[in-house]
Order: sequence, then structure tokens, then C-alpha cells
Amino acid sequence: MSELVGAWRCLIIEDDEENANYIARELKDLGYQTKIARDGRAGMELATTASWEVIILDRMLPNEVDGLSILTALRGMGNKTPVLVLSALSALDQRVRGLKAGGDDYLTKPFAISELAARAEALIRRSSSVAESRKLEIADLSLDLASRRVERAGRLITLQPREFRLLAYFMMNPDRVLTRTMLLESVWDYRFDPQTNVIDVHVSRLRGKLEAAGERPLIHTERGTGYRMTADLQPNKKK
Amino acid sequence: MNDNTRPMHRPWRSVGFRLAFYYGLLVIITMIITISIIYMQTVGVLYQGMTRQVITVSQKLTTRFENGGPQALILDIQRELGDDQNTSTELLLYVDSTGFKLAGNLDQPPTKVDGLRGGDHRLMVRRGREISGYVIARTFMDGSQLFVGNDLHDQETMDSLVTRGIALACAVAFVLLVGGLFVFRQELDRSVEPIRRTLTRVAAGEIKERVEPLGQEDEFALLGNDINQMLDRIEVLMNGVRHVSDTIAHNLRTPLTRILLRLRTAAEDTSATAIQKKHIEDAIADVEELTLVFEKLLQIAEAEAGARRIDFQPVSLSAVVSEVVDFYQAVAEVQDAEIRLDVSGSPVVMGDPDLLAGAISNLVDNALKYGGIGTKVMLKSEVTRDRVLLTIEDDGPGIPVQELNKLGTRFFRLDRNMRGHGLGLASVVAMVTMHGGRISFDSATPGLKVFLEFPRHLP
Repeated sequence: MSELVGAWRCLIIEDDEENANYIARELKDLGYQTKIARDGRAGMELATTASWEVIILDRMLPNEVDGLSILTALRGMGNKTPVLVLSALSALDQRVRGLKAGGDDYLTKPFAISELAARAEALIRRSSSVAESRKLEIADLSLDLASRRVERAGRLITLQPREFRLLAYFMMNPDRVLTRTMLLESVWDYRFDPQTNVIDVHVSRLRGKLEAAGERPLIHTERGTGYRMTADLQPNKKK
Repeated sequence: MNDNTRPMHRPWRSVGFRLAFYYGLLVIITMIITISIIYMQTVGVLYQGMTRQVITVSQKLTTRFENGGPQALILDIQRELGDDQNTSTELLLYVDSTGFKLAGNLDQPPTKVDGLRGGDHRLMVRRGREISGYVIARTFMDGSQLFVGNDLHDQETMDSLVTRGIALACAVAFVLLVGGLFVFRQELDRSVEPIRRTLTRVAAGEIKERVEPLGQEDEFALLGNDINQMLDRIEVLMNGVRHVSDTIAHNLRTPLTRILLRLRTAAEDTSATAIQKKHIEDAIADVEELTLVFEKLLQIAEAEAGARRIDFQPVSLSAVVSEVVDFYQAVAEVQDAEIRLDVSGSPVVMGDPDLLAGAISNLVDNALKYGGIGTKVMLKSEVTRDRVLLTIEDDGPGIPVQELNKLGTRFFRLDRNMRGHGLGLASVVAMVTMHGGRISFDSATPGLKVFLEFPRHLP
């Protein structure tokens, strides 16, 4: 996926030098082009004068500037770049939670860089993807959101409501790494660090049902991060 | 902060009340002593003067009788009554052995003469009018009797005057006492309230709060200054600790992620042997664990720094608990375990649903993990008037009693062979504390019982 990501430009608006450099370095390793702005004014200027695939915005900026006010200003100017807000656990409030409704996302500090990368990628892909279709398909697996019907190679698969939501979330985000926290958040509506094995158990049950007739696996484990659903035959080899 | 609000409900616990009470006690003792002295010095002295006078007269008249016989005595009595001295208060009577009045201003002898040798009070009749008086009786050799006394009317007037004065003084003292109590309380509350308010906020995590100066240089202002200095120091120390831990975490996290990336690249190298690959995979797993430990530690530190959460909202704990149970049902099925839920009342707390769900799922996870195959986990939620109680009990092997108090300490692990870092319970403790709650552990014979207690939110 490196060549896909290669063109992605990311603006990091963060006053904490160490944290900003850390994010920039890690994203560069993943193939991003990054630029760091150290305060709200520089950030605003860069955000409006250049084009970005994603903006990573710290909630707390120098001179008592609230990162959310920058986001509001950007949206006021018609700028639709997806924004990932970084917020301290203690500074988290309803407005930050509300970000998801507006198509943006947030992450509480401290965060795992894999989590940040997965969320940034999800944001970028979401903003570029076309409107959701009613019927999702991957390889020989199909899922109808309206009739809640799931079939694999003509075989009807019966799923529990949660399993259905889990599969739908996977199928709406094909070829993307989904972290355990992202799965918990989308399927169970809670955001906390799940103990590793819980999500694994749910995913393995789903896998069991999907592969009951000996079909090849579609959901693959991403070591140390989460899962990815793909129709590729060799999912862990980089293209 | 419900259990340490105003001291009004239990007056004895208020210093203001106690001070006022002791002050009142002092006033009352002072009053009793003062009044006793005044009473002695007025009514007492007057009464003594009167009795002395009566004794003197009776001695004088007795001597007269012994020297001059009845006739001289009668003359003397008549002279005494006619001399215009004390005639309105003097009481005299001389009767012969048959009780017939020979001289004096009393119409008849007083009753119970036997008790009058040393002087006593009697009701008597003087010129047709009943009066109360002090009287001494003398019986002579020939059986005649002499009564000398004094009208007590003046004494009684004086007595009632002084008594009224004392009652009035007592009433005034009582009013002063109540007023003093009120003023004491007010004054103390006024001085102590700002300090308490500030400290409550500091305890809730607003370390930047300071005691406002009261504008006068009294003991409380000095105390406020001392507290502010102490808070300055604490803030500096806290910032220092936070800065150090943040820096450590940043500085260590960056190289760790780099190591991880390098190892992953190395793992993809096709020329590596199977053994080398195995070592690389193990190293990746170890570094991932280490990264996780850092994140967990930073998260606990963040929760413990406990800046007051402005976005706490009413959360139905029963909903959170049942969703967590639902979430874990799949895990339970895999290991043949059973999770049961028993909710009574409507347990609503002020908090963050994500953090609460995280803490509860951590406890359920532990119960299943340590309970092992076929364990039964019981979650029970109850409400009292102002608390919400949640118990999570399993029937697994439990924990030795002597180890119970170490639970929730960072890096404490009972069984080093189990997966984990000894940070799960520490983060649960931090979350519960952040919500103003309490957590405790007990043996459930067998198994472990975890008690959670939160302040109840009433709409």
C-alpha cells in the first residue's frame, strides 16, 4: 500500500515539539509527506494556503488557543479537509466527541502511533469514497444492509446483530487496517482500550461463520494493530 | 463532597459551636458567682443585721425582767413601742403564764413556740393584720413569755427586687449567649469557608486554585497564605513529575517504534532462516508489550492527574454494565463460563461512559481470566440513598488475604505466568477515583469480590 499512501500530505498542528516530531517521523515512515505548524496562526495559514489529505490538530495550542476554534474557522471557510483532533483525556468534552458526527475524528493522548495511522487513513479514505451503497461485496461475500442478508458463494450466513454490524463495518472499510479500539467503537459504541482477547474472540467467531464451508479467509490479523478485510490472496505482502 | 459539606447538621462538630458553647458556659459560671456575691452583700447582710437587732432587744428585755420583774418589762415594752424608732417593723409581745397579753403590739402569741428559742419565721397578727415576721421567744421562771421579732416585709421587698434583677440579668446573658454563638459561627464560617472551598477544588484536581485573601491580617489570613505557599510548591512538584514522565515516555516511545519498524522490515527478509525469523517475531512481540506498558502508564498518570472533568454527564451504570456483559458473553462461552447480572434500582452516576465501561470491562476480563474454565461471574448493582454500589464476584481461585491490599498497585501481579503487566487494576483504581468513587477487594470464598462505590446522581 506504500505507493498509495505516498502521495498523502499531512499537516500536523501541534506545539509540543517532541510529540510533533514523533508523529511526523512515524507518518513519514508510513510514506506520508508531513509538515509541522507550531501554533494556531501558522497552522491556519498552512491549512488554507496548501492542500492536505488530512490535518492532525492538537486541542491545546499556545496562547490559550483551542484547536477546535481552528477547525470551526476552517469549516466556516468551506475547507473540507478531514481533521484528526488530539486531545488530552482531561480536556475531552462533548464537543470533541461530537467530531465524529461531522466526519472528523479524535484521539486521546497518549496514543499508539498505529492507532493514529489507522484513524488518519480511515479519515482520508472516507472523505474520498463515494456514498455508501446498500449492498456491499468483497470477493464472493455479499452483505445487504437493507435486508440484512449475508451470503458467501450462494451460501446464506446467519449472523447475530453484533456480528452483522462487525461484518458490515469491515466491508465498508475494505483493505484498511481497523484497530481493536476502532472496532469496539463502531460496533459497541464504546471507546476504551479493549483487553486484546475480547475483540479477537468476536472476530474469530465471525471468521468461523464466514469460513464454515472451508472458504479462504477474508479477515486478516495485522500484527500489533488490528484486522484488515481484503480479497487479496497474500494480504500481508506489501504490493 | 456530600459528606463534608456544612457543619450545620451536626453542631457539635463545628468549632464555632464548641467555642460559643464554652464561652456560654463561662458566662453562666461568672454570672452565678457574681449574683451569689451580690445576693450575699444585699439581702444576706440586711437579714443578718435584722436578726442581730432582734437578739439584742430580746437580751436587753430579758435582763430588764431579771432585774425589775414583769412590771419593769411591761414599762420597757411600752416605751420601746412608743419611742418612734423602728415602730413599723418592731414586733413585741409579753404574755403571762396563761397566755394573756400583758403588753406589746402583737394580738396573740405565734404558733409552735417551742421552735422559736433560736429565732424563726412565723405568720403573726399585729393590730388585726396578718404579717410575716422573724421572731424569738423567751420563757421566764414564772411561766410568762416574751416574743421579740421583726416584720419581714422590707426583707421580702428587697428579696424580690434582687431576684427580679437577677432574672433580668440572666435573660440578658442568655440573649448575649445565643447572639454570641451566632456571631462566632458566622465569623468562623466567613474565615474558614473560602479556605475549604479552595481546598475542595484543589482536591478535585484544580491545582491552580488559590485561597483568596480576606483583606485583614488575622490568623486565618496567615493560614490562607501558608496554604497558598504549600499549593505553589505542590504545583511545581506536580508539574515537575508530569514533565519528567512525559519526557521519558516520549523519548522512549520514539526509539521503540523505530525498533519495531526495523524489526518488521527484517521479518520480511526472505533470506532469513526460520530460527532468525522466530527470534525477530519474539522481539517484535516484546517491544509491542513494552510500548503497551508505556501507553498504559501514561494513561494512568493522565487519569490520576485528575483535572476535573467538565464533561461528566449522567450515566446509567446499569446500561453500561449490561453492555459490557453482552460484550464479554462471547468470551465466556468460549471458556464455558457464565456471567450473570442482577441490577436493582436505577443506578445513575455522573461520569464518562467510556471510562466507566473500560473499568468495568477490565474487572470482568480479570474475573474470566483468573476464574478460568467454567467460572461463574456475578455482577450485582444496587442503589442506596446517595450511593451506587456495584459488586463483581467470581468463583475462581481468588487471592490470598494477605495479598488483597496490594491489588491495584502498579505492576503488582499475583501470578507472573499469566499474561498482563499489572497495570489493569491500577488503571481501574485511577478511573474509579476520578469518578469520586471507591474500590475495595475481598475474598469471596472461593474467588474474588470487587466492590465499587460511586456517588449517586439524582436528577
